[in-house]
Amino acid sequence: MKKLMTAVLGSVALAAAPMAVSAETTHEIKLAYDADPVTLDIHEQLSGGMLQLSHMAFDPLIRWTQEFEFEPRLAESWERVDDRTMRFTLRDGVQFHSGNELTTEDVKFTFDRLKVSPDYKAIFRPFSELRVIDEHTFELVTDEPYPLVLNAATYIFPLDSEFYTGEDANGNDKAAVIKHGNSFASRNMSGTGPYQVVERQQGVKVVFERFDNYWDSESPGNVDRVVLTPIKENNTRVSALLSGGVDFIAPVPPTDLERIRRDSNTDLVTMSGTRIILFHLNQSRVEAFQDPRVRQAIAYAINQEGIAARIMKGFATPAAQMSPEGYQGHNPSLQPRYDVERAKELMAEAGYEDGFTVTMMSPNNRYVNDDKIAQAAAAMLARINIKVDLKTLPKAQYWPEYDARAADIMLIGWHADTEDSANFFEFLTMCPDADSGRGQYNAGNYCNEEIDALVEQANVETDLDKRTALLQEVEQRLYDDAAFVPLHWQDLAWAARKNVRIEPILNVMNFPYLGDLVVE
Amino acid sequence: MSAVTASRWERFRDSYLWYSFRRDKVAIVSLVVFVAMVAAAFLAPVLAPTDPYDLAQIDIMNSELPPAGLAGSDPAFPLGTDAQGRDLMSTILYGTRVSLLIGFGAVVLQSLLGILFGLLAGYLGGRVDAILMRIADVQLSFSTLMVAIIVGAIFKASFGNLMFGEIAIYLLILIIGIAEWPQIARTVRASVLAEKKKEYVDAAKVMGFGTPRIMFRHILPNTLSPIFVIATVQIANAIISEAALSFLGLGMPETQPSLGSLIKSGFDYIQSGSWWITLIPGLVLVVLVLVINLLGDWLRDVLNPRLYKG
Repeated sequence: MKKLMTAVLGSVALAAAPMAVSAETTHEIKLAYDADPVTLDIHEQLSGGMLQLSHMAFDPLIRWTQEFEFEPRLAESWERVDDRTMRFTLRDGVQFHSGNELTTEDVKFTFDRLKVSPDYKAIFRPFSELRVIDEHTFELVTDEPYPLVLNAATYIFPLDSEFYTGEDANGNDKAAVIKHGNSFASRNMSGTGPYQVVERQQGVKVVFERFDNYWDSESPGNVDRVVLTPIKENNTRVSALLSGGVDFIAPVPPTDLERIRRDSNTDLVTMSGTRIILFHLNQSRVEAFQDPRVRQAIAYAINQEGIAARIMKGFATPAAQMSPEGYQGHNPSLQPRYDVERAKELMAEAGYEDGFTVTMMSPNNRYVNDDKIAQAAAAMLARINIKVDLKTLPKAQYWPEYDARAADIMLIGWHADTEDSANFFEFLTMCPDADSGRGQYNAGNYCNEEIDALVEQANVETDLDKRTALLQEVEQRLYDDAAFVPLHWQDLAWAARKNVRIEPILNVMNFPYLGDLVVE
Repeated sequence: MSAVTASRWERFRDSYLWYSFRRDKVAIVSLVVFVAMVAAAFLAPVLAPTDPYDLAQIDIMNSELPPAGLAGSDPAFPLGTDAQGRDLMSTILYGTRVSLLIGFGAVVLQSLLGILFGLLAGYLGGRVDAILMRIADVQLSFSTLMVAIIVGAIFKASFGNLMFGEIAIYLLILIIGIAEWPQIARTVRASVLAEKKKEYVDAAKVMGFGTPRIMFRHILPNTLSPIFVIATVQIANAIISEAALSFLGLGMPETQPSLGSLIKSGFDYIQSGSWWITLIPGLVLVVLVLVINLLGDWLRDVLNPRLYKG
């Protein structure tokens, strides 16, 4: 009641002030995700959690709308100069949280930092340079004609070059991108976004406050303070929403969808997702995984439909490949191949009928029901005599282990950053190469240069039909070779109190545009 | 030989213990329930329809089936299944066995340590007493769970999960046993202090018996009744400690569920329809601990002459 009173009084006071914009009130929302951001450096890690943070504290040049169109953000407009060059015009009068003005220098600084970031460099590899024309105009140049320039531009969130330049108290470069390290950027941030981080305790909470000089005065968003609390336990998170302890939760566990639908004070929003969940089988750690028959046996032993139906309660689509329907690479002839007998035969053919022991790791608060999926998979592998030593970890500890390739089988979920099939291959199946960033998340160490060449060919192919054929062939060959074990495409669900209008700010990438969130 | 047993049996039948047991309905019911649970748990490999520790036997398509009598249940799974498709009845039988093993094992260990240190401290006194009891004080100032969590986490990190799963039972016995010995040591020491001033101890000394003989053969038998009482209560405590550790994810691994880890694995579903995964093992745990505590209460009443009831 008190909160409502202050909200009302606040809006009255502001309405009286001559400068007041109607959207300015003192709404606060409490957000409960399954985990909080692991760092403040948005280039340290390419993950859904970091991109969600990017959309709160930074702004991209352009962003996707719900209808999958490009919406100008910091780039006001863009035009194609020639088949290798795209010219962008920056918005005028955009301020960083530090008070600095946004110029093309900041965009160039950001682009250069992306090119050296171990996680992002593969996305920006087709780009040869960012050419500064003047303070508000720049050009993105690619080596060869590249069909996905604008898609990649949705991942350029300009950083404050002045803020991130120089040396910190310990004499280290402020711009350094250090994975799982204690860099300046992992503790400090200055962006152009709607919110500033005012308080952060890792694993406890992050408090955001709306940036007073936010450039987007047209944004309907009226939330001044966002308190993000990580609640790992599914049941606790849902209970927190139903009891009114928090206003907005994500993800909603499939077991609780009905319970939230029944509740008259909450709204549930669901979308069918494009994030693939899969297992990597590490060939450099386990000799048996170098034998395609063993990998196929595992692919035959995993019951994707069972996992989707029982653990995910039908809230996922069983997958046999990475590209979801609607993507160019989606190959409709590939179907899940659950068949335990065939799996046993293949194990016997490969000489492993007595099986072996492997380690498996999975996060327990990153993807929907990730730890339960891993447990179920361990049980399925027991049927073909593969004994699994399973360890599940919170994501803040999981990613360092993932980067170290610390287990023989590792679970990962991937959403194509460019909304395109090639992104899956570049990160998850191409031969790992630290220089180009290819295979950065390929924890299987699978490497097939012929397939990689097909992906490279697709990347410069501008004829849509030819490109589709190439990408579908890649899916087919990965499937035949059982390069990885796909599980399902995870559906998305969010829930909020009725007065929090989440529907307009949500999208299938799972980047809620919280800056535009309206609370009534 | 048979005459001796008969006479022992007769002696038992004439004893106050048997007399008060026959007149105490709560004790009779508790003992019957307890014996039934112990029998069921130790016959688990014979009684259980499936082996819940064999991952190859579980099928994800059988997950979250309700207990018999509810809509959607399968007669093959009388108590339903958990979220991974394990038969709950088998899992509970095996889980109870694990809980009982850990409960008894931990109490045997803490009794050994507690009796030894309690006797030494009480009988020898002086510096030995001071050192042992200060160690006990220090240990009592940490909560059992905290000690168990730290030790468990270290072992888990250093052995890996698969290895930990194989030795988890012994580790838990060790952890809980070591964490709780001061309880018994203090009781024993108090009784020894009272006993050692009695004439029979002086008589034994005069007869020239050695210290160990006096301690174990003369004083120990006279301090047994409080040990029995406290050991019974400690069994219940150890079972609860194990359940709590498993619930926190530091006890038995998910692949070999004990009652505590079963309760944990069903916790996500308790408000989402599949209440039986948590509720049924929870009830089993409550009943098990309750009957042990009731038996302990009864034993205390019987063995403590100051509490004679009319």
